[in-house]
Amino acid sequence: MSHLEVRDVVKRYGQLTVLSGVSFAAQRGEFVVMVGPSGCGKSTLLRSIAGLEEISSGSVSIAGHDITAAEPSDRGVAMVFQNYALYPHMTVAQNMGFALKVARRPRSEIDAAVTRAAEILRITDHLGKYPKALSGGQKQRVAIGRAITRAPEVFLFDEPLSNLDAALRSQMRIELSRLHRELGATMLYVTHDQTEAMTMADRIIVMNGGNIEQIGSPLDLYNRPATRFVAGFIGSPRMNFIAARVVRLSGRTVGLSLGEGRPLLDLEFAPGETLPVLGDAVTLGIRPEALGDGGEIHLADAEVAVVEALGRETLVYSDAHTLRTTDSESLDGYFAALVPSQSDKRPGQRVSLRADRSAFVVFAADGATLHDASPVHHE
Amino acid sequence: MTLRSRTVAIGLHAVVSLWTLFVLLPVFVMVISAFKSQAELFTRPLALPKQFSFAAFERAWGIGISGFLFNSLLVTALSVTIIIFASSLAAYILARSDRPVMRWVYVAIVAGFAVPLQSVMVPLYQLVSGAGLLNSRLAIALPYAAYGIPFTTMLFYAFFLEFPRELEEAARLDGCGRLEVFFRIVLPLSGPAIASGAIFQAVFNWNEFILALLMLTKSDVRTLPVGIYGLTGQYSADWPALMAGLSIATLPLIVIFLLAQRHFVRSLAGLGK
Repeated sequence: MSHLEVRDVVKRYGQLTVLSGVSFAAQRGEFVVMVGPSGCGKSTLLRSIAGLEEISSGSVSIAGHDITAAEPSDRGVAMVFQNYALYPHMTVAQNMGFALKVARRPRSEIDAAVTRAAEILRITDHLGKYPKALSGGQKQRVAIGRAITRAPEVFLFDEPLSNLDAALRSQMRIELSRLHRELGATMLYVTHDQTEAMTMADRIIVMNGGNIEQIGSPLDLYNRPATRFVAGFIGSPRMNFIAARVVRLSGRTVGLSLGEGRPLLDLEFAPGETLPVLGDAVTLGIRPEALGDGGEIHLADAEVAVVEALGRETLVYSDAHTLRTTDSESLDGYFAALVPSQSDKRPGQRVSLRADRSAFVVFAADGATLHDASPVHHE
Repeated sequence: MTLRSRTVAIGLHAVVSLWTLFVLLPVFVMVISAFKSQAELFTRPLALPKQFSFAAFERAWGIGISGFLFNSLLVTALSVTIIIFASSLAAYILARSDRPVMRWVYVAIVAGFAVPLQSVMVPLYQLVSGAGLLNSRLAIALPYAAYGIPFTTMLFYAFFLEFPRELEEAARLDGCGRLEVFFRIVLPLSGPAIASGAIFQAVFNWNEFILALLMLTKSDVRTLPVGIYGLTGQYSADWPALMAGLSIATLPLIVIFLLAQRHFVRSLAGLGK
């Protein structure tokens, strides 16, 4: 049986529908990350599970109990907020023990729970301090400690790392993963940062416009995105999207023309994949790491526009004016390629954009994935 | 700094200095007069006393200032306590409710702020008289509280609108009910608003004269302003004692003001929110 189950949850504010019938389940001990752009409803969903928002319809159950109408404190959840939400007038120890104090638990039990949580998070030295004396990272540890002392069924995290600087963020990611393993707790984590989602999640829920786009393991989403939205959201740098048209159909072979009519690309659709109709406008997706000057298919001639050295690799943006993009977040004709940093690309240089046939993904006009790329096998 | 802005600055400082002198000079005269003899007070009114004598203070204390002081303390403490308690709770509910009717309740409370005391003095007197409270400390403590609540509610309302919601949500998750959230989290963190409201109302109620004169006719329940006023007829010959009495009445306020100047200014600035 699932540990956390969300069924057909709808949330409306007057005319505005923020969640339109969301369902998913998390197993005991699973680390589930909800990811999506701002305004997609992920925070509202988290707050609905916490009981801080009343849902318009649907149900939420934890450990087999329907908690849809329960008070926040009776749901068996603990939440870690983006801005820490530590009580400024209480010490670290008092902050962490507050829930148990409100529940009138004996002093010895509170002390033991606080000490244990402080040891797990390595903040024992700070127990007597007030929050204002702590750094951002320490505050976030205390906020997590406050959740741990309550020993909840489900931990809820609302973008807990977004106020930390980049170095601290990657360190806290590792700590949270360690914590999850040590506690074996069910965790639901909201973020807009796909790196956090990819690195920590057992499973990722990608949300968009109040709906779930796809649920799956990080590599599942990366290798087999169900929609163009997921393909664009998961993976950094972003997948390239090229406008294409179906100009030939023979058996399961689909012939596509790119940009201004040429070149022609034949893709073999696997059995089970939906074939497009002749004349359909589709989108061709290709990951930056699969695009380069090698590969069996020549897409276009281009001119290097911007070179970003990332260290281990270099990101090259090339302007291929014969190609069009269907991606509202990219510039028309600009395509990103991730190449080894030894390559000496310079702005202004002429290059040929090439890729292997197996690297292409095809999306229908409505965004659904028609054809998957074959997963890349590294030697 | 340019010559022009320096001229403006000097001009502004001159105006403010003159104004300060205008306000502080009477206070200064009051304090030095209390240390003078009757004769010296009239012959050399603005000069410093030749010798500082506490005789006038002893005489003033002897004719009942201590009782007035006690009454003022009691009335002020009671009224301010009621004001802070009622205003903070009311403002919290108003600031957190999204029901349209609450907006009108807030407007009605603010409107109460605009009712001049003089216009309701007679009915207020009848009310207090009907309740059998005349010549008791409650006769002025309750009207003071009623008059202080609108302003303080506005002050708290502005403060609570900016109070971080996440703290309240965290407390709800930690098991607090609505009232517990208020008393364990919100109120302990409302120090600035409480201090501003309390100081402002304390000063107002400490100095209030008209209502106290109307409601308190017996000497043993009088507050300082009325009590000292009562002395003028009886002891009109003894000006130094009167000045000493007034100095005693003013002293607590000056101390409070010096200690909490920052909060006092904030309470006035809070009006602009």
